[in-house]
Amino acid sequence: MFGLFIFILLPILIAGFCYFVKDLRIQFSVSLLIAILHLSLAFSVFLGLYHIQLPTFFSLDSLSKLFILILSNVYFWVVLVSYSYLKKPLMRKAEEGKKYYFALINFYLAANSAAMLSNHFGMFWVASEATTLSVAPLIYFYRNEESLEAMWKYLFLVSIGIAFAFIGILLLTLSAKGTSLEGEQLFFWQFIRKAKELNPVWLKASFIFIFVGLSTKIGIAPMHSGDIDATSNAPSPIAALMSGSLRLTALVGVMRIFQIIQPTSSFEFAKMLLIIGALLSLFVAFVFMFKVNNFKRMLAYSSVEHLGLITLGLGIGGLAFVGAIYHAIYNSMAKIILFLMAGNIHNHYETREVDKVRSVLNTIPKTGWLFLIGYFAISGIPPFGIFFSEIKIFEGVLFSEKPYLLLFVMFFLLFIFINIGKNIFAMLYKKGNSDSHLTRYEKFDMTHFVAIVLLVILTVLSISSPEILYKNIINITKDFGVIL
Amino acid sequence: MENVLSILFCLSLFYVSVTSRVKAYVTVLRVQGVILSVLLILPFVYHFSIFGIILPATLLIVKVYLIPRYINKVILDLDIKRRIEPTIQQMVFLPIVIASMIIIFFAANMLSGFTELDVIPFASGFSAIVVGIYIIMFRKKLIVHVCGFLILENGIFLFGTAVASELPMMIELGTLLDIFVVVFIMGIALNRISSTFEGFEVSHLGRLKD
Repeated sequence: MFGLFIFILLPILIAGFCYFVKDLRIQFSVSLLIAILHLSLAFSVFLGLYHIQLPTFFSLDSLSKLFILILSNVYFWVVLVSYSYLKKPLMRKAEEGKKYYFALINFYLAANSAAMLSNHFGMFWVASEATTLSVAPLIYFYRNEESLEAMWKYLFLVSIGIAFAFIGILLLTLSAKGTSLEGEQLFFWQFIRKAKELNPVWLKASFIFIFVGLSTKIGIAPMHSGDIDATSNAPSPIAALMSGSLRLTALVGVMRIFQIIQPTSSFEFAKMLLIIGALLSLFVAFVFMFKVNNFKRMLAYSSVEHLGLITLGLGIGGLAFVGAIYHAIYNSMAKIILFLMAGNIHNHYETREVDKVRSVLNTIPKTGWLFLIGYFAISGIPPFGIFFSEIKIFEGVLFSEKPYLLLFVMFFLLFIFINIGKNIFAMLYKKGNSDSHLTRYEKFDMTHFVAIVLLVILTVLSISSPEILYKNIINITKDFGVIL
Repeated sequence: MENVLSILFCLSLFYVSVTSRVKAYVTVLRVQGVILSVLLILPFVYHFSIFGIILPATLLIVKVYLIPRYINKVILDLDIKRRIEPTIQQMVFLPIVIASMIIIFFAANMLSGFTELDVIPFASGFSAIVVGIYIIMFRKKLIVHVCGFLILENGIFLFGTAVASELPMMIELGTLLDIFVVVFIMGIALNRISSTFEGFEVSHLGRLKD
């Protein structure tokens, strides 16, 4: 029960506490304490130092051990910067939004943890719907027209998407009719063990509904639009939280059904569907990067691209699967850096338009340099982790049955790299008309500290490649029956 | 009995396809809520248990009382006009709905050939899902979209009873709570939209584009 208490119940209690206690500093201190507790427990569970017992509907396997650590890690850094972020002068507009900020992110932590730890489709559904509910009011943080529209679209599209996922879950029950699973609960492990008995037609239908439904949350094209609007209009820490962890929570749902389908005859079909979704996402990112003029939207499309790459890795299997899991870890950290720096730029220039942001390196040099390095990290420039994970995915694709796919992937990635680079270099270097009045001294604040620490972690993690992480990922591949 | 109730459910879908009043949508939501509750109570008529009554009772409270009441309150507070403002006329909408339902019923009948399933509740549930989506697609008012979403959810519920899902009660209650909170947040959002954009139509939401 201790694990359940720290992972899920305590954040809910603290969410309630933050709702009633109005002092922002106290809210922050308590939330940070929870974030540290959550991270320590997730870390010790991951290292195998501590074994937790979870009640029915929840359990830990290699996948959830790793993903809850990713969630904990992203959440910790986001909470750490939240207080200084909320205290920024521009934030005065969002006074009303600030009141509920910490209550909602604690609820977000509880809902996401519940979804990651759940071992039952019903529980997963309830928890992932709760994640949408926790994040929707946070998108409306700025209380302006754009954020309101983004919240409405996100809430509506994702709710419908999740409803579709529910149909998928019902179809899964239908696929168990007439087998030894009939009348049993919808536990993942039971379905995985007896997957071969399931009716292939209903299983395929179930996969389609769950994948398409959850795509609205993962941001897989063509269901990505709500997600793009939400990520680009949410405050930067929330955008980092969404890109780094919320999308992965939904991905866990897809991975669970993918794990069930793996030993059956429908596996090839599921793989094909994942690959199509992935390529479409890369294509959408490729097209929109040509015309996007809002740097936060640009980062949101970058998330679509990277989740597309992860999905591609999962769909291809083999080494690409390993690369995809590594990519999920590295992408979550690189996105925090980029969104936090984008938030600093937004605060300073009071616009999100690339054209209106000029000579960042002169006006806010610390943010500018970190933004630039963050761009290198996300683009797969060594020594940052994404370089290694992308290489693994590419190698996996090259040695798969469909090596020609690599051609498309490389083509899309090249142009995405060029277009993001073009925008970022214009923001950083290009001289504007009214630079002089913008020039002011930039203080070193928490966001810079977090960005530097994360860059160091990204580098150290990829160069040292810890044995325990590798082993865990190999265990995940074994659970998924991936042949390396 | 399940079949009779499912057919009643389908009739409510026809009504919703031809009506042009927002209030009628809320009434239909109430009727559908009652039908679903009765469907859930049916198995307990002969062997009564207090435990089994909890879910239908909660469903009745949430879907027949709380949600419709809340939507009515939003309509009154925001002074939303009575007409639904369709993008296509009812006389076009109805044939589309009927055609879709015919296809769904035929498909369900064919599918029942190789899997044992209750054709009528299954197809009715699926029809409601499709009609819910049509309502969202072909109506302008955002409050009607919320009703469309709820009809879709009701369809999923009926569909769930047809495939005899083995979801435990705690999770069923969780889903009901989730849906209620979604509608609640949508209501708050609608309030904000009406004061920010001075309108409740989807055409007002066009600021976010590339």
